[in-house]
Amino acid sequence: MPEHRPQAVTAPSGYWHIAWRSPWGNACSVLVERRALVVSTGLCVALLCACVLYLSLGSMALPVSAVLPALFGRGEMISVFTVQELRLPRLVAACLTGAAFALAGVLMQTLARNRLATPGIIGIDNGATAFAVASVVGLGVSLAPPAMALAGAATAAALTFGLVAGGGTQGYRFIVAGIGVGAVFGAVTQLMLARVAIDTANAAYPWTVGSLNARPGGAVALLAAGLVMGMIAAWMVARPLSLMRFKDATAYGLGINVKARRFQVLMLSVVLTALAVAVAGPVGMVGLIGPEIARSLSSSRQVPLVASTLAGALVMVLADLAGRTLLAPIEIPVGIVTAVIGGPWLLWILMRPQRSHA
Amino acid sequence: MMQVEPSPTLATDALDLSYGTRRVIASLGVSLPSGQVTAIVGPNGCGKSTLLSGLARLHKPDKGAVLLSGEDIQRLPGRELARKLALLPQEAVAPEGLTVSELIRFGRQPHQGWLRQWSAEDQQVVEHALHAAGLEALAERPLEALSGGQRQRAWIAMTIAQQTPLLLLDEPTSALDLGHQIEVFELVRHLASQGRTVVMVLHDLASACRYADYLIALNDGQIVAQGAPAAIVTPALVRALYQVDCTLITDPDTGSPLLANVRRACS
Repeated sequence: MPEHRPQAVTAPSGYWHIAWRSPWGNACSVLVERRALVVSTGLCVALLCACVLYLSLGSMALPVSAVLPALFGRGEMISVFTVQELRLPRLVAACLTGAAFALAGVLMQTLARNRLATPGIIGIDNGATAFAVASVVGLGVSLAPPAMALAGAATAAALTFGLVAGGGTQGYRFIVAGIGVGAVFGAVTQLMLARVAIDTANAAYPWTVGSLNARPGGAVALLAAGLVMGMIAAWMVARPLSLMRFKDATAYGLGINVKARRFQVLMLSVVLTALAVAVAGPVGMVGLIGPEIARSLSSSRQVPLVASTLAGALVMVLADLAGRTLLAPIEIPVGIVTAVIGGPWLLWILMRPQRSHA
Repeated sequence: MMQVEPSPTLATDALDLSYGTRRVIASLGVSLPSGQVTAIVGPNGCGKSTLLSGLARLHKPDKGAVLLSGEDIQRLPGRELARKLALLPQEAVAPEGLTVSELIRFGRQPHQGWLRQWSAEDQQVVEHALHAAGLEALAERPLEALSGGQRQRAWIAMTIAQQTPLLLLDEPTSALDLGHQIEVFELVRHLASQGRTVVMVLHDLASACRYADYLIALNDGQIVAQGAPAAIVTPALVRALYQVDCTLITDPDTGSPLLANVRRACS
């Protein structure tokens, strides 16, 4: 660059440019995409509203004005108990699982370059379900169902990785192995449910569809820690990830170590899913709906990691709210709500005409 | 006008490349002339794209090495290699909705970092790349809205923004009509005139003769001839490569060899 021609920096269109000089004298600069910031802020606000609604509605409806005081221990004792003890833990579980499923989903979709991919396609959900069901129906295991679900997710992922050993994590081999592993675990689950008494099968039922009814405290804490670390890790790979949407050769040519990055991102997606499945069972649909909402709101400049995470939490909160209140006092498991409402809605998203870019 | 730093040399030493158990390139040693346009030509399946992948380190050699200024490229960190050598793969695809200038900005990746996301230099280089590829007026258009030739020039502009002295292109004109092909070839010549070393795989011998300074003719993973087009292209070579007979004449305007009366070889 010719030194005598200093030029003012203007941000590329659609970005804010923030530049400063570090204490060591290095010129630092970051770009903030305006649309991503607006979308994330909007989703945050929507999520907060949904959370307030979630705490207020239910078999004992509280006025919205009573929710916030009750949250901090003020007001009638029964309101405080309802909000703090009954609804808040479940709300936290809904936010965390929704966020984890959606973040895992958007990572997997970026790796597979397919917007319909979820970690479920490599058998994780079915593995978790099979192990949790085995624990419930009492096949001589002493671990609690959530721990078993985690073990099942890890086993399925390890099997899929093991079966394609050396073949890499790319392409059909990997997906076919995952589908095979998932099918075997699915069959095992069915077999176990068919062989036990109907009451036992009923007890295992939430683990086959996904529900926020159980919410084991240890699993939620583990998920919270995992999600925080997962979000930091995702933020760190955001730049290579946006290049991995191109062909491998293109990303490689721009200096990205595609193989290593793919493995890291895949592991991140698997771990997030496993932790979420241990809390709520297989609610894989959120991994499709969250990222789809995020993509339809965001630009194509980068992978919408933050927006997907927020949208996933929003979907999960609203779906569980609907499941708790629509047919009260009967409770519909959240996995069924996401499938019944989310399925057709997802179809509409996929089949509507493409937005124009002109 | 922006000049790139003097070209490092690119060469191979007893290079073996395989797909699985099938050896595609065997013990190949070649040195690519700096600051010139080299075309790798040969029949389908002769290994020309594989050789290009090997030169770009997309394909790990079984034996031998690719040497960049004498150093084995396997030993270079990815980002450092990406600042010296840019690759445009065949039929590149971009995420839907990406605009021309957004695509070109991705070419700055090897020069950027977490806290170095946008500088005056980045901006200047992107503007230069847009200008060099003649795409200023289309900068904010999505790639889907461009013609094939414009889109290919946008991809080349991305590699220009990478500011590498070496540029590898895999069949850059394969899906383009004649007018769009010429657009791309003239851009390639312009890039070479600024001191870049360009290596491209071409399936069309006629364009290779017209636009390349140096030809590498490959058959069955072996170099059968290399040199300036006018010096090496003979009816015998054309027959050896493609099993066709032809008459060679000299282009009265450019002096490059022209293939006329091409017909299937009668054996």
